[in-house]
Amino acid sequence: MISYKKYTLDNGLRVLMHEDRSTTLAAMNILYNVGSRDEDPGSTGMAHLFEHLMFGGTAQIPDYDKQLLLAGGENNAFTNTDITNYYLTLPAENIETAFWLESDRMNLIDFSQRNLDIQKSVVIEEYKQRYLNQPYGDAMLLMRPLAYRIHPYRWPAIGMDISHIHDVTLDKVREFFFTHYAPNNAILTLTGNFRTREAVRMAKKWFGRIERRNVKPVDRPAEPEQTEARSLEVEKDVPADALYKAWHTVPRAGNDFYTLDLITDLLAGGESGRLYNKLVRQKKLFSEINAYITSDIDPGIALLHGRLMKDVDIRSAEEAVLKVIDELKEKPPSSHEMEKVRNKYESSNVFANTSILNKAVNLSFFELTGNPDLINTEVDLYRKTSRSMVTEAARKYFDPASCSTLYYRSSRDQK
Amino acid sequence: MIKPPVRPVTPGRIPEAVALKLDNGIPVFLIEAGTEDVIRIDFTFDAGQAWENRPLTASAVNRMLTEGSQNFSSSKLNRTLDFHGAFYNLYCDRDRAGILVFFLSKHVEKILELAREILFLPVFPEREFKAQMKKRLRWFLVNRDKVANIAMDQFYESVFGKEHPYGKQVVQEDFKNLSRDCLADFHVRHYTPGRLAVVISGRIHKDTVPLLNRFFGALRPQAADVTRSGYELKASEIKRVHIEKKGALQTAIRIGSPAINKLHPDYPGLKIVDVILGGYFNSRLMKNIREEKGLTYGIHSIITSALLSGFKVISTEVSKKNTPKATDEICREIELLRRVAVEKDELEVVRNYMLGEMVRMFDGPFALAESFRSVWDFGLDNSYYYRLVRKIKTIEPDEITALATTYYNIDDMYQITAG
Repeated sequence: MISYKKYTLDNGLRVLMHEDRSTTLAAMNILYNVGSRDEDPGSTGMAHLFEHLMFGGTAQIPDYDKQLLLAGGENNAFTNTDITNYYLTLPAENIETAFWLESDRMNLIDFSQRNLDIQKSVVIEEYKQRYLNQPYGDAMLLMRPLAYRIHPYRWPAIGMDISHIHDVTLDKVREFFFTHYAPNNAILTLTGNFRTREAVRMAKKWFGRIERRNVKPVDRPAEPEQTEARSLEVEKDVPADALYKAWHTVPRAGNDFYTLDLITDLLAGGESGRLYNKLVRQKKLFSEINAYITSDIDPGIALLHGRLMKDVDIRSAEEAVLKVIDELKEKPPSSHEMEKVRNKYESSNVFANTSILNKAVNLSFFELTGNPDLINTEVDLYRKTSRSMVTEAARKYFDPASCSTLYYRSSRDQK
Repeated sequence: MIKPPVRPVTPGRIPEAVALKLDNGIPVFLIEAGTEDVIRIDFTFDAGQAWENRPLTASAVNRMLTEGSQNFSSSKLNRTLDFHGAFYNLYCDRDRAGILVFFLSKHVEKILELAREILFLPVFPEREFKAQMKKRLRWFLVNRDKVANIAMDQFYESVFGKEHPYGKQVVQEDFKNLSRDCLADFHVRHYTPGRLAVVISGRIHKDTVPLLNRFFGALRPQAADVTRSGYELKASEIKRVHIEKKGALQTAIRIGSPAINKLHPDYPGLKIVDVILGGYFNSRLMKNIREEKGLTYGIHSIITSALLSGFKVISTEVSKKNTPKATDEICREIELLRRVAVEKDELEVVRNYMLGEMVRMFDGPFALAESFRSVWDFGLDNSYYYRLVRKIKTIEPDEITALATTYYNIDDMYQITAG
């Protein structure tokens, strides 16, 4: 049981606090409610580039990293389609340094052309390193626009194209900051060894002075229902063929989220998952296969991908995959198998709570979805998922007409 | 607003592991910590790559441990572990190999029963073995497509030698040259009670030790007839190697050399030198090559210990056209470290960063167990960490220059590129 307190400042900043006296550390997480789904299609990758700029210093504190290091701290950040999330840990007695640093850069960042230019090059190298210079690294760059036609999930957080990152101007950066970085658009979570009363005092002292900003809600087009199967075939210089399939699912806060999560666990949760057992171990069609659902605020996808063994035909491999999925539609899993995936979830949840940093990140995210209690109650929602719910959801969501398929072929002679 | 005062970062006493022995002498270390009812067990054997004479042997044996045992098929083994919500990692390092299991404390009995099957009763079924090798060959081909791996593998070969298991590069044929019998033989010799240690951390269930004795305490400690790999460590004469990768957008750079390991008295000081150069986010290499020139997404330097030798290596990926520029800058930073005394201000940052790291290294049951292993492997104990803390607090700029001059000589360093 994770007990936490919530306090909202006058400027709209939500503060969540969870005391954990078993550690000498404290963690601070700041979630900004802005991700790549808030971007303009002509200027994608902005939220992520901005994350890089947040380390460029302010007029008050030109060297964020150095100051945190002097207090024994460590930090990082990530940007995804929905959020930009900054986190740090430090010895608990220096927690006020975290308030000082994070409130300062929420207040006003120092924008310079030089820093913008350098971070653009860094992000472009990141783009190459993670997406373009890896075998299959661009698969999700291809899958997203296949599965999403209109919704901003059609581009990844790093951006649709390198040229978008090139073209960002200082004016755009400034505008982005003032429309999205605001106390009333952020969630601050503290976990670790501190007193809640003290944390509230420090939150008021450091963040209370920042004024509420005019955060314009972004009007995002809803993705229309997909009624026809889509596919794309590419041939690239990779060692083996790979298969990618996506089906439209539900938002993170949607009713069937837990059932769908358990379905992908039944399919691909570890080596005892059905796909692994049948298609890797028994039939030897794939060298690896995986499936999961995205945890997105807007309706997400269930994604399946596998790499083929030598001399296996990609269409027959696909048929074999669909057969495994169809079994779930036809016959409910045994009680024992259901118990297995529920136990596995329960255990991974306990493990997630062994880290103060995880707890801070998760509490922030649950607060964003509207229900921070979920950090404690989700286990029951998984527990309540029944065998018939699995069959129903499998039929409803794993519909061939709402599926997008990428055939990622190898141009090489198979060794 | 006034900057809040910063308290000096002070790593406290490190909780000592409780050491005991099972009835047959297997050493067990217990580290009680944490708030959740979870346990991490590390079954670790003297069975890493250093003990193999044929590439892939040690790692293939390790991977096959969960592919079927006397009483469980591979599917049943995995199904049972999953049913009990357990997670496991099989691992095979340069020196040691084994399995790490994470599970809820209440399942300790079942997990230990399965662990005995996995570790001491595997049968290496021919069919599973063949499938496993084919599958691993596919993984290998994908990994060898990444410039980072191509450069790293060549770096190890250059630094440790073409033949020694620390350096020998795996090639496609190696996957065909292994046999099931050869794995079974390696297993019999190396996965023995006499070569095993068990490190347990978390909220340790009170029945854990009696259960360990029940499942492992009666196994007979055979006198194993084993020797390390017959090959010698031998660094290459050729200092610069480039491997061409057609169509690559970036070049992976690896610059480094063999180094002393944890057993050497200079090691703590050298660790600090390495951090200044490239061991943290604000390091000189990061500042220069990423934050000032924007040449890369990341550049890191690390010094690593293995039993027979250590090594230090600087790693980065840059656009092909920027490779000479990045390499020159790396060499320039090394020269600076040798010639110019570190400023007080910078040293203060490094001291605090490293002390903060040392607090994190002992926070919680999992971190404690990892930190325990990384000294125990070398026959050291927590006094190594206290020595390191003292060195971090007291090292002076002239000692840093002296260490850099002794250990960082650009002419001795290997420069490997792939791209």
